[in-house]
Amino acid sequence: MSIFSIGVSGLHTAQIALNTTSNNITNVYTQGYNRELTLLEESGIGGVNVSGVQRQFDYFIASQLNSATSALTGLQNYQTQISQINNLVADSDAGLAPLMQDFFSAIQDLVSAPSDPAARQEVIGTADTLSSQLRSVDNYLQDMQRNVNIQIGDEITQINDTAALIAKLNRDIALATAKTGVPPNSLLNQRDQLVNSLSERVEVRLTIQDGGSYNIAIANGQPLVSGTESFALETIASAGDPNRIVLGYRDSAGNIQELPESLFDGGSLGGLFSFRAETLDKVQNQVGHITVSLAMAVNEQHEMGVDLNGDLGEAFFSIGSPTVFANTKNTGTAVLSAAFTDAAGLTGSDYDLKVSDAASGEFTITRRDGSAPFTLTLDAANQLVFDGLTLTLDDPLVLVDGDRYQLQPTRRVAAGFDNLIGDTARIAAGSGAGSGDNRNALALQDLQSASLVGGRASLNQAYASLVGFVGNQTNIVQVNLTAQEGLTQQIRTMQQSESGVNLDEEATNLIRYQQYYQASAKIIEVGGTLLDTILGLRS
Amino acid sequence: MRISTLTMYNQSVTSINRQQGDFLKIGQQIATGRRLLTPADDPQAATKALGVAQSKAVAEQYGDARVGARSALTQQESVLNSISDALVRTKSLMVQAANATLSDADRASIASEMRGVMEMVLGQANATDGNGHYLFGGYRDNSPPFVRDVSGSVVYVGDSNDRQVRIDASRLMEAADSGDGVFLAIQSGAGYVAEADAANSGSATFVGPRVVDSSDPGFGAAYDISFSVVGTDTSYSINGGPPVTYQPGVAVTFGGLSMTFEGVPADGDSLTVDKASQMNTNLFATFEKVIATLETPAQTDAQKASLANTISTSMREFDNSFDNILTVRASSGARLNELDALDLVEENRILNYQQTLSELVDLDYVEAISDYTLRQVGLQAAQKTFVDINKLSLFNLL
Repeated sequence: MSIFSIGVSGLHTAQIALNTTSNNITNVYTQGYNRELTLLEESGIGGVNVSGVQRQFDYFIASQLNSATSALTGLQNYQTQISQINNLVADSDAGLAPLMQDFFSAIQDLVSAPSDPAARQEVIGTADTLSSQLRSVDNYLQDMQRNVNIQIGDEITQINDTAALIAKLNRDIALATAKTGVPPNSLLNQRDQLVNSLSERVEVRLTIQDGGSYNIAIANGQPLVSGTESFALETIASAGDPNRIVLGYRDSAGNIQELPESLFDGGSLGGLFSFRAETLDKVQNQVGHITVSLAMAVNEQHEMGVDLNGDLGEAFFSIGSPTVFANTKNTGTAVLSAAFTDAAGLTGSDYDLKVSDAASGEFTITRRDGSAPFTLTLDAANQLVFDGLTLTLDDPLVLVDGDRYQLQPTRRVAAGFDNLIGDTARIAAGSGAGSGDNRNALALQDLQSASLVGGRASLNQAYASLVGFVGNQTNIVQVNLTAQEGLTQQIRTMQQSESGVNLDEEATNLIRYQQYYQASAKIIEVGGTLLDTILGLRS
Repeated sequence: MRISTLTMYNQSVTSINRQQGDFLKIGQQIATGRRLLTPADDPQAATKALGVAQSKAVAEQYGDARVGARSALTQQESVLNSISDALVRTKSLMVQAANATLSDADRASIASEMRGVMEMVLGQANATDGNGHYLFGGYRDNSPPFVRDVSGSVVYVGDSNDRQVRIDASRLMEAADSGDGVFLAIQSGAGYVAEADAANSGSATFVGPRVVDSSDPGFGAAYDISFSVVGTDTSYSINGGPPVTYQPGVAVTFGGLSMTFEGVPADGDSLTVDKASQMNTNLFATFEKVIATLETPAQTDAQKASLANTISTSMREFDNSFDNILTVRASSGARLNELDALDLVEENRILNYQQTLSELVDLDYVEAISDYTLRQVGLQAAQKTFVDINKLSLFNLL
């Protein structure tokens, strides 16, 4: 082996090392880049060999970072969503509480002057404001429901695209590795970066096949990427509630299967699902619960009074009805309809009903507040009466075992809440003894402090507990988010410590390999001088 | 440990972000003066604050109710005050009319003045508040409560309900008194009234009844005294009991009461003695009775006796009605006092609520400003650190 060859191997190696360093420096801020090291080995015939350019990547830390990222983005998305509700109820001067107070304060003025048109007009005015505000709160929350549906669609598009890219990279990497024998670092970086961005959207489980191919599964083992294939998820309307977008996959027979929301708890998708199930549904139900309690109590009392025309009072407020959805997978065609019967019995929870014995008309009813399921059989009027509700079945003959129904008693009732009294004379302030009779107005005023909501809380107490619920929930999410941010940052620092580029280090490498190059060149120069010396002997 | 360049930047950025967030939040708190910006800042305090705000609003609501009640009671008091003055005048007219030396013409002129007084009282009883609602109609406040029927006598067409207003959490107060309670009723404790039968033809007049022994077992019952004349023997019997020889000027006692008779009763003359509340209690009926009597000429002894007896009975009835109106006035005065007392209590309560509310949601400025300065220093430190770390690059030395 000549000194030239040795020098050249050094020159060559130094060039590769300088390339690697330059690559590290230029990619210092590139997302998903893992720093590279040039591995040298001694050549058996003298000189030096580059045995490889190694990517500094730790699968263990990377997967820790991925799951921390999932948890973090889940909480971040949850926080973004819940902050909107938190801000909605934040202003104590503009929330629902002062509007309810205004309404009852107008009733108080009516007590003082029962036949005064101004006092009567004030009652109508405050009732209008209160009802429009409650409707607008409901509208705001319903917009959030729609946004959640839209965002789930967006997330799924991104997840499917990313999954397809990872499957393609699996193939590209296998091809490149087969061609050169070494896996291409840049493709590996891309693939790991894609797994990380997938983790931002949904919590994934990564398994590495023999041969280095990535298999990715989500939600209880549902495969998303398997080798060079990816499986697209689809957004579908839930069978239980057609207004609710959930995820589904196609099984081997090509049928769409619904994936339960509860299986997703990380990533921005999991954050959306958790927010919807834990907070949005409940807040909407509680707003509805307060609204229906107010409307039914005021209506009932108002209908007992007599107005200025001497007629019995009519309903003061209109209110929506409970919603019942028949599961789209039901084989029977029986339809259940629901009505409010006793405001004090309402719970504000949703219910799942399942036909447990069609012959006798027996239903198993599960209240979604964690309480134990109970069974109830249709009465002679084909009705189920429980928790302040009456459900009526249209035709018991077409009831089929196992059919399911979802009951949302108070979810959307606030949307139909409106003041029905426009004529001041039609306010039933008295009990029929004349225009100065204020007994019914007094009874209406007493509703302000009566335990109307669920028979346990006054309207204001119920609203306060709603605000407390939102505040607590937001607070918990914020605390968890802060903790998760700290944890994620720690893991990211660890990951960066392994795979990140340090410019100072690369600066020393640059100098080092520059000198190495100069030294190797010197070897060749010396070799030349040596040759010249030999050649000069003849002259 | 290796620190990557990215980590250094990221950490600086994270720490600047956090400091900036904290700094802005304190700034926002200072700008709004509120410690609680959203319920999430302190869910418990936010919930409590809503409860306290409600209590405060309700307290203020009761305050409004008291303003209404006070205005109604004050109007009522001013009306009853002028009615009291009218009744004082009535009594002095009655004293004049009782003078036996008056001629029919004199009595007619007293009657005419009394009619004027009665019209004035009637007008006041039909008084309205500023909005045209009748004060004494009970719940029927949209038409005059006292009207004349076909025979010309005053009847009450209101009802006997007193309008109540909630002036405190556990206090319903009558903000008005119905006309029947004021003008048609008397106090149940008012004494006995004796009334001669209108068909009496004798010249007997009575004095009394006077209560001599209220512990008498017969006290409180109604008595009917009837006279019978057989030949020259005049006797009376009480409630159809055994006849007793009549002696003018000698006190007749029964049931703890004592009465004296003068003059000569005719056979079949009678009079009723009963608790005042069981007899005529209608102020306007009393007026009408007295005016009718005064306008009737009194020539014979029997007519003069009837006149004297009616005046004596009516005198007691006016007194009782007057007492009743004074009692109503005293009661509304007490209610006005109660309103004042409640105002004071409520004022303190509202102040307490305000203070609690302030403690729950408002900002402690001293603490906040010192925090503000601290955060400012923190933010500046984070910024300085970032700049300093960035200066330290090996590339700067190459």
